[in-house]
Amino acid sequence: MIQLFFQKFKESPTSLIAIALFLTGVGLITLKSINTGQEGTLFQLSFFKELFFLIPALVAFIFVFFIPRHTIHRYIYGFYGFMIILILLPFFGNEIASTYRWIDIGLPFGFQPSEFAKWIMVIALARYLSDHNLEMNHFSASIIPIIMVIIPAGIVLNQPDLGSAIIILVPLLPMLYWVGARPFHLFLIVAPMVSILTAFHWISFAIWAILMIYIIYKAKPNLVFSISTFFGNIFLGLLSPILWGMLREYQQKRILTLFNPEIDPLGAAYQIIQSKTAIGAGGLFGKGWGQGTQTHLKFLPVQESDFIISVIGEEFGFFAIFILITLFSFFIMRTLRLAYNVDDRFSSLVLVGLGTIFTAHVFVNFAMTVGMIPVKGLPLPFVSYGGSFLLSSFIMVALIMNLSIDPKDY
Amino acid sequence: MLKAANLIPQRRFVVVSGVIIMLMFSLILRFFYIQVYFHETYKKKAEVNRIRAIPLNAPRGLILDRNGEIIVDNFPTYVLTAIPGEIINKEKNFQIVSYCTGIDTTILKTNYKKYYRGRFLPARIAKDLTFDQLSRIEEHKQELTGINYIQFPERFFSEKINASHILGYVKEVDQAIIKDIKEKENYIYGDLVGWRGLEKVYENRLRGTKGVHFVEVDAYGREIGQSSDYEKENPIPGTDLQTTLLISLQAMIEKILDGKRSVVLVSLPETGEMLAMVSKPDYSPDLFTGETTVDEWQEIISNPDKPLLNRMTHGLYPPGSTLKMITAMSLMEKGRIDYSEKINCNGVYELGDREFHCWKEEGHGEMDLEQAIAQSCNVYFYHVVQRLSIDEWANACNEFGFGQRTEIDLASEAKGVVPNSSFMNKQYGRWGWSKGHLLNLSLGQGELVVTPIQMMQFINSLVMNGSAPALHVVKDKPQIKHSVDRYAHQTWKRIKKYMLNVVSSTYGTGNRANPGIPGLNIAGKTGTAQNPHGEPHAWFIGFGEKDKKQVSVVVLVENGGHGGVTAAPIAGRIFDFLFSSNENMNLAFSL
Repeated sequence: MIQLFFQKFKESPTSLIAIALFLTGVGLITLKSINTGQEGTLFQLSFFKELFFLIPALVAFIFVFFIPRHTIHRYIYGFYGFMIILILLPFFGNEIASTYRWIDIGLPFGFQPSEFAKWIMVIALARYLSDHNLEMNHFSASIIPIIMVIIPAGIVLNQPDLGSAIIILVPLLPMLYWVGARPFHLFLIVAPMVSILTAFHWISFAIWAILMIYIIYKAKPNLVFSISTFFGNIFLGLLSPILWGMLREYQQKRILTLFNPEIDPLGAAYQIIQSKTAIGAGGLFGKGWGQGTQTHLKFLPVQESDFIISVIGEEFGFFAIFILITLFSFFIMRTLRLAYNVDDRFSSLVLVGLGTIFTAHVFVNFAMTVGMIPVKGLPLPFVSYGGSFLLSSFIMVALIMNLSIDPKDY
Repeated sequence: MLKAANLIPQRRFVVVSGVIIMLMFSLILRFFYIQVYFHETYKKKAEVNRIRAIPLNAPRGLILDRNGEIIVDNFPTYVLTAIPGEIINKEKNFQIVSYCTGIDTTILKTNYKKYYRGRFLPARIAKDLTFDQLSRIEEHKQELTGINYIQFPERFFSEKINASHILGYVKEVDQAIIKDIKEKENYIYGDLVGWRGLEKVYENRLRGTKGVHFVEVDAYGREIGQSSDYEKENPIPGTDLQTTLLISLQAMIEKILDGKRSVVLVSLPETGEMLAMVSKPDYSPDLFTGETTVDEWQEIISNPDKPLLNRMTHGLYPPGSTLKMITAMSLMEKGRIDYSEKINCNGVYELGDREFHCWKEEGHGEMDLEQAIAQSCNVYFYHVVQRLSIDEWANACNEFGFGQRTEIDLASEAKGVVPNSSFMNKQYGRWGWSKGHLLNLSLGQGELVVTPIQMMQFINSLVMNGSAPALHVVKDKPQIKHSVDRYAHQTWKRIKKYMLNVVSSTYGTGNRANPGIPGLNIAGKTGTAQNPHGEPHAWFIGFGEKDKKQVSVVVLVENGGHGGVTAAPIAGRIFDFLFSSNENMNLAFSL
């Protein structure tokens, strides 16, 4: 048994787990720096808590690494159903920080089922797309996959957790593209959302309308379809400000805060400036471990989880940031390369989907700390503090390593 | 199952890889731009400036009397806060603060824990700081990173009156009481919330909206100035509350009632506005603001006279003879009484084997209804009340609002009890009670209990011929009419004529309520309510009218003895105060 494990392990892309462990180490070192000067018992300090969370994460890694791929394939729909129930559960529990993301499991920390929804979603989608020898030339082949992601994404959005909802939605596009969907069909999926968003400013809406004409012209579908697609989107765009006006003020405010938390003056108002200042002050090599004045004296809320990059940027500088981004890029590109080389379509799709999840997390997290995009509550894989996500991340690494090796012996 | 072969076109692999590499590259560029290219700018910013959000507390609305005189004001005080995430050495900092202010470190630490809201939010560690204490803190500012002071408007009360039961008080929001607050999201620890009385009922109006301003501070936490990046949001003060109270009248009554367990209510029957509301003993309204010591508290809660009890709305008393009017009106309306009918009172009435006494032992002699009310003859009423069933009598009481809340805009009130036949059955069993109980009840004794505020509503109904506006303390409360419409105009007129006799005729029990002002007519009724706790409670209810201006009064003195002797003179002083000078009349009838 143990021998079998080592054999399988040796054949797998071990560089992935090595990177994952290294990044977790960087996270722990940073947490230790944040903890200096903080008071509390051992289990109130994030460093020890994270170290403690690493144990179940590694156990889960070994367990998932060992599950035969046909078992994963067979039971994933059941898991999908179970996952839907799990993400509904927090709504029956207590509100935590006025959201319904957490399940109280009777331990001193909560459990966040939406983290697990992300990769369960990807595997379920991979099974559907690989089982059905789909004629991806037809748009209708994409309908069921769209429904499959919309349901959990909608529930999670209501928790409300826009970040996780985006992560659940995002793998759909690359996965459809990966199995050969026509780019025009992907455009059809994305177009309504863009129409709604651009409609709030007439210049952006005009540019979008011209772009739509160009894309539809290039794709050359039949005339009726072209016209209905175009005007359908224009109509949707024109309708959205009216629908917006029908919402009550507090509803509008809630939606706006979801997309742009900076509206809340005492909350995230100066968070980005604070974060940028910390990162910028770090310079090329940083101020040194435990020396970040911004980190230790300032308002850097959620510096342990979502904004841990601000601390790293301040204390270890651009040098460390560059290494981190390079490592993440290597990790993701390696996953993608494996997806390209692996023998069966199911595994390939899972790898692409998981690669997308990591990409989205990494990009959104880094980008928000330097104000490239509005603040979204998405942690950085392995580095950020958080038990559910650490566990989830190691399971994803196990899945990648497990599914990327030749299936014949295991 | 897993047989679908993986046939990915290379072009698609290249496209996906390309997108990912572009995203990652844009991140590296952005970080390079901030960390290397603009490093100097951010470095300076980090060294010099830190931005701190400081909440600006909104003062609560003032509470004013009917002529705009301030009853409850705000007084700026300073509170000291600690930002947990900014404090470097908590132990040492608390010692310095303790040295500067003279406040014990254990108190500071308790407060720190009590008001802790998070690592980057200020927790209040001390309040009501003097200027001296502040300047000493300022001297040590360099050592006190993370400790700041902010202005905090505290409630400040007029010295002229207590009115503590009406005004109520505010409480500081802490971890314990935030659970009981309705709109939790509007409060943080240390905020004030109206907890009793007007402060509670009109909380939404009195509470303002908090503001925030952003200041830049240096590495020691010293303020450098306004932040240019963020705009200041000014706090919006709460709306002032104009009450119907007349502060001078309230003050006068509070003074004359001192030392008595008593209630006095004064209102304008035409509008339902309360001019004065006194419940004694009371307490100083700033009992709940400053630092009340444990001893002070002990003294108040262990006081046998219960100063915290609002006797106006929660004191339950037998009404005594003041309810004879209801019995009389019911009989008149049903045609069961002859105004000229005379009944001989020899001081005692026998029913079965029981004896019922008149308050005048030697008896009143021959009495008709008018005299029986004026002299409050019990024997007369023992006779006539038997012409009513207990339920007829109870219904009449209920119609005048007894047994129900008056819905006056004070936080809460008691309902009282009007016993009817089903109540008596429950209390004594089907056959356990008799007519004797009705005799007692009709004289306002026994199980019947009312609150003084219900009596106010009762007398106002009499003045307004049944349609008196609802009682209220705040000026612009919508006026709901409480109407009693069963009685004929003649009945109202007659009963008021009888009540006029109670005060104006020389033999009337209430003649001490008459200050003898020309043109002022006073009608009323005294009551002497027997109770098991000693001397009877003394009641007077009545109203005065001069130049079509009417004022109604309710006086209750607990264990005060005879209503005509103890309560009526108090009413007399109130009528004298209001009607003897034009100045006071103008103040009372302004608006």
